[in-house]
Amino acid sequence: MDLTRRTLLKTQAAAAAATAAGVSLPAEAQNIPTGEDIKLQWSKAPCRFCGTGCGVMVGVKDGRVVATHGDMQAEVNRGLNCVKGYFLSKIMYGADRLTQPLMRMKNGQFAKDGEFQPVSWDQAFDEMARQFKRVLKEKGPEAVGMFGSGQWTIWEGYAASKLMRAGFRTNNLDPNARHCMASAAVTFIRTFGMDEPMGCYDDFEHADAFVLWGSNMAEMHPILWTRITDRRLSNPHVRIATLSTYEHRTTDLSDAAIVFKPGTDLAIMNYIANHIIQTGAVNREFLDKHVNIRMANTDIGYGLRPEHVLEQRAQHANDAQVSHPSNFEAYAKLMSEYTLERASELSGVPKEKLEALAKLYADPKVKVMSLWTMGFNQHVRGVWANHMIYNLHLMTGKISEPGNSPFSLTGQPSACGTAREVGTFAHRLPADMQVANPEHRKHAEEIWKLPHGLLPAKVGYHAVQQDRMLKDGKLNAYWIMCNNNLQTAPNTNNETYPGYRNPANFVVVSDPYPTVTAMAADLILPTAMWVEKEGAYGNAERRTHFWHQLVNAPGEARSDLWQLMEFSKRFTTDEAWPKEILDARPEYKGKTLFDVLFANGEVNKFPVSELDPAYENRESKEFGFYVQKGLFEEYAAFGRGHGHDLAPFDTYHQVRGLRWPVVEGKETLWRYREGLDPYVEKGAGLQFYGNPDKKANLVAAPYEPPAETPDAEYDLWLVTGRVLEHWHSGSMTLRVPELYKAFSGAVLFMHPDDAAKRNLRRGQEVRIISRRGEIRSRVETRGRNKMPPGVVFVPFFDASQLINKVTLDATDPISKQTDFKKCAVKVVLAATADAGGVQ
Amino acid sequence: MRRSVFAVLVAAVPLFAAGAILAQDAPRLRGPEPFTRETPAPPMQRQITDDVRVTRNYPDQPPVIPHSIEGYAVDLNANKCMSCHARKFTEQSQAPMISVTHYQDRAGNTLGGLAPRRYVCVACHVPQTTARPLVENVFTDMDALTEPEGQAQRRQR
Amino acid sequence: MAAGITRAWGWFRGNRWVKTALSPPAYLSLGFLTLGGFVAGVIFWGGFNTALEYTNTEKFCVGCHEMEANVFEELKGTIHFTNRSGVRAGCPDCHVPHEWTNKIARKMQASKEVWGHIFGSIDTRDKFLAMRKHLAEREWERMKANDSLECRNCHSSESMDLVKQNPRAASAHEQFLFTGEKTCIDCHKGIAHKLPDMSGVPGWQ
Repeated sequence: MDLTRRTLLKTQAAAAAATAAGVSLPAEAQNIPTGEDIKLQWSKAPCRFCGTGCGVMVGVKDGRVVATHGDMQAEVNRGLNCVKGYFLSKIMYGADRLTQPLMRMKNGQFAKDGEFQPVSWDQAFDEMARQFKRVLKEKGPEAVGMFGSGQWTIWEGYAASKLMRAGFRTNNLDPNARHCMASAAVTFIRTFGMDEPMGCYDDFEHADAFVLWGSNMAEMHPILWTRITDRRLSNPHVRIATLSTYEHRTTDLSDAAIVFKPGTDLAIMNYIANHIIQTGAVNREFLDKHVNIRMANTDIGYGLRPEHVLEQRAQHANDAQVSHPSNFEAYAKLMSEYTLERASELSGVPKEKLEALAKLYADPKVKVMSLWTMGFNQHVRGVWANHMIYNLHLMTGKISEPGNSPFSLTGQPSACGTAREVGTFAHRLPADMQVANPEHRKHAEEIWKLPHGLLPAKVGYHAVQQDRMLKDGKLNAYWIMCNNNLQTAPNTNNETYPGYRNPANFVVVSDPYPTVTAMAADLILPTAMWVEKEGAYGNAERRTHFWHQLVNAPGEARSDLWQLMEFSKRFTTDEAWPKEILDARPEYKGKTLFDVLFANGEVNKFPVSELDPAYENRESKEFGFYVQKGLFEEYAAFGRGHGHDLAPFDTYHQVRGLRWPVVEGKETLWRYREGLDPYVEKGAGLQFYGNPDKKANLVAAPYEPPAETPDAEYDLWLVTGRVLEHWHSGSMTLRVPELYKAFSGAVLFMHPDDAAKRNLRRGQEVRIISRRGEIRSRVETRGRNKMPPGVVFVPFFDASQLINKVTLDATDPISKQTDFKKCAVKVVLAATADAGGVQ
Repeated sequence: MRRSVFAVLVAAVPLFAAGAILAQDAPRLRGPEPFTRETPAPPMQRQITDDVRVTRNYPDQPPVIPHSIEGYAVDLNANKCMSCHARKFTEQSQAPMISVTHYQDRAGNTLGGLAPRRYVCVACHVPQTTARPLVENVFTDMDALTEPEGQAQRRQR
Repeated sequence: MAAGITRAWGWFRGNRWVKTALSPPAYLSLGFLTLGGFVAGVIFWGGFNTALEYTNTEKFCVGCHEMEANVFEELKGTIHFTNRSGVRAGCPDCHVPHEWTNKIARKMQASKEVWGHIFGSIDTRDKFLAMRKHLAEREWERMKANDSLECRNCHSSESMDLVKQNPRAASAHEQFLFTGEKTCIDCHKGIAHKLPDMSGVPGWQ
């Protein structure tokens, strides 16, 4: 198109003249696109990726997403996104998007060893229902399970929880957030009686010092890192200290980069506690008034299979979660073992660095924000690590006020909002309630309008255990939604894959794309993603954020919510509930699970007329009521008035999220502090009202070594994690060309000296071998991660380099969260090894 | 105003060829067959450093970096990117000036220089390698929706 | 004073060794002494040079922990350490002039570094970080003063093949290097080691 300034002016002049004269000109007089051609419909949504929860504006044209940008009005990010967020408009458009259910068939029938054939939804659900009913009948509810997600929307997690617990009567529902936030969530409950941080992102603009523990925020929470960078570069007194097992982009921008030996973070924290005690920096008044002191059981094992020698040897493998009331003197005595010398020797960190860090915590004038994610959580002593950081903040009283903030960062976009708050864990109910507590079950039954005694009391299988039970044939009907567990579970060749292909099991996977997990399933259900459905997420700072459906899912893909609700229609209470319950309450007989769970007068309370006419809402139109609103309002009843208050449903569609508890329309930024948190009684000042005695628990624990340490044969530490460009298992980001081309395959980050020692050069193919399995990768000695000698790093986004074949399925025995950051490997050149050479 | 979101997507999504189960097969994305098999690791890809500006998919997209950034410091001591992309150096370097959005702080005020929140360029701008995407992505440029015939050819690189 | 000098001179001339050195040879032939002296000179010079060249090796430089743990470690990730052709630069390639007179001058300046090593001016990481800017500036000044002579030991601007360079580099070299407006170190600071605090450095930010 040849457009000169002269021509444009002529056109404009002509148009203006024509309008003045009341004459309309033919369309050809416009030679740049205008009007409808360049109009986009913009709507708000949270980003699909990490727990930061940035707000984005999504531009839609002709039923397709064509653009996104950071939402200037969103408090979290004020207009910024990271590179993944900037390519949100492409994540739904991979050409291999699943559009039809696929089932393994032979001769027109389901066959475990058959090839995938497209089937209709009816056929898919027919077979699925048949299998689930068979298992329920033959083995009972404990053989049915679901592996859900911290990337489910809030109502998807809620519907799943209802279906599993109240429908099939099993607690074998666990989310992939078990792999990411369990240690943090469990410690919140143990310490404060309630889950989730007491501070919020506003702490970034108030803190004097940021201490990052094993958290690579520059790549993993980039927008929160911009808030830290902004604060640091704009205020010269601010300091950033980053502790990690290797150097990376975050340490590059830190004032103190502290590299420690894997697992010794525990010793460092205990040393800091010791320093605080020895230098008289303990805020005794605060401790006595607000904190109980407890001692944790020690020698608690590693969450391995019970037959494992490490579990047999551990003294408290079976009561790892137990702690005993204690006092400050006993705590001080335990901490006194962690002298500067011992901490420095264990961790390999120079004494001056440790001391400087301790001083940051000890100085009452310095407002400290501690931040952590997977370094602490994916740790065999993850709960202890979380405790230790709270101990530091509790001892100094640096908590629940602007800038003083132990802040547990969340990995997934809704691990908080869905997995934790809705309680899609094997031991939880909504609003921090527990399945093992009869009062809590009763309360849930009341809200759900279900007969008493219906909800199962037994804690279900957690993530790693689900894989083991699948392998052992004890879990037989399994539904995986919104995750890629075959790629992301530990020791996957030995403990995950066998279970999926076990002939006794029927495995269903709901996913938008053909992932590794989907390919190993028996039935694949095509799933709608992100803005193809109305959704809600809850981010790391307790902010619940909604979005509307903006485009349609391709082909026959349907949202997880639709799948759950539609599937529930296939079961009647007679098939799923015990006879005694139905005899006692015959009005429940002969109903479908859909009737009792979703058409129960609460969930179907809001008519379709309440839908926003500007937006589509496929689920509501199909079921005949405003599904998301009904589920949400029923769910919110659990928390309102109990410190988990959520605002009315409609409010969330107007605002860029609100931080709960939202009381009388006002969100809460800092919890437990009078004046800032409406739940704190007048005159109390500070109250940890989650616990009955309104005090927090300081739980003391020692240093204990990791499960597997490098030895003569397997002489390197393997750390796994992510890189900026890719999200988790890469199923979305690897399908975006720009992100794929930015980082196209996993590599083995290694110190140049380690490479030289093994006669390796950058770019050579190597075998990474552990006691459990091996993969092949390429050596990287010059990348963004600068490994210390003895430690290597491999990201897990690459389905062709499944590093989890190599990792160990050791977990924190209390939280059951896998330690993905520490196991022992050896690295050899691929060619030599193939030729039968000696390593 | 009523928005029409009932537009059918099917035209943009490749239909199944007879007998094909997946619209496109990307073995490296769906994992090895069988799962337990070890696959060779493809070679690491080279960076594209030809300085050719790549068309953005939509106006707000941060442009990809068409040159090498190996060893470029972005730390507390130095920001190498700014030695060419800062306004005062653009005439000498002929590099694109950092976008005006980069001068805005969190509150929306326009500052005289790079806003500190934008300091880490590589959080949004990434270089590219010669790796060929494993699957096609059928994202449609908004211009293609309005003027399908008037599109610039995107270079294969 | 004069008496003192006379006495010292007297002592000097009376000394046994001096007497022998100043008298003509009685037992050794002219040829022997000349040739022997020549050979000894060669050995001495060889030894001196070997020792000097030993101090010009990377191995020697990184023998000091200050160097090994700080600047050498930083070098390992850069293009001067590992690259396509495997042609790499060691410490002396950039930091020790090849030309003899400049080299000796540099060696004499190096006594300051020996002093620093003995008295631990950068023997901890923190001390090194505090001195980094000073150390860097010293090298930049030296390179600027000799028109990046050390760079040109390997990278001859006359031998640059602009086809092989990417457009940005070719254009910058043409505009600034070939015209003599700038020298290598003006733009390529930080090519081998991490940059110090660059505030106040011309041409940066």
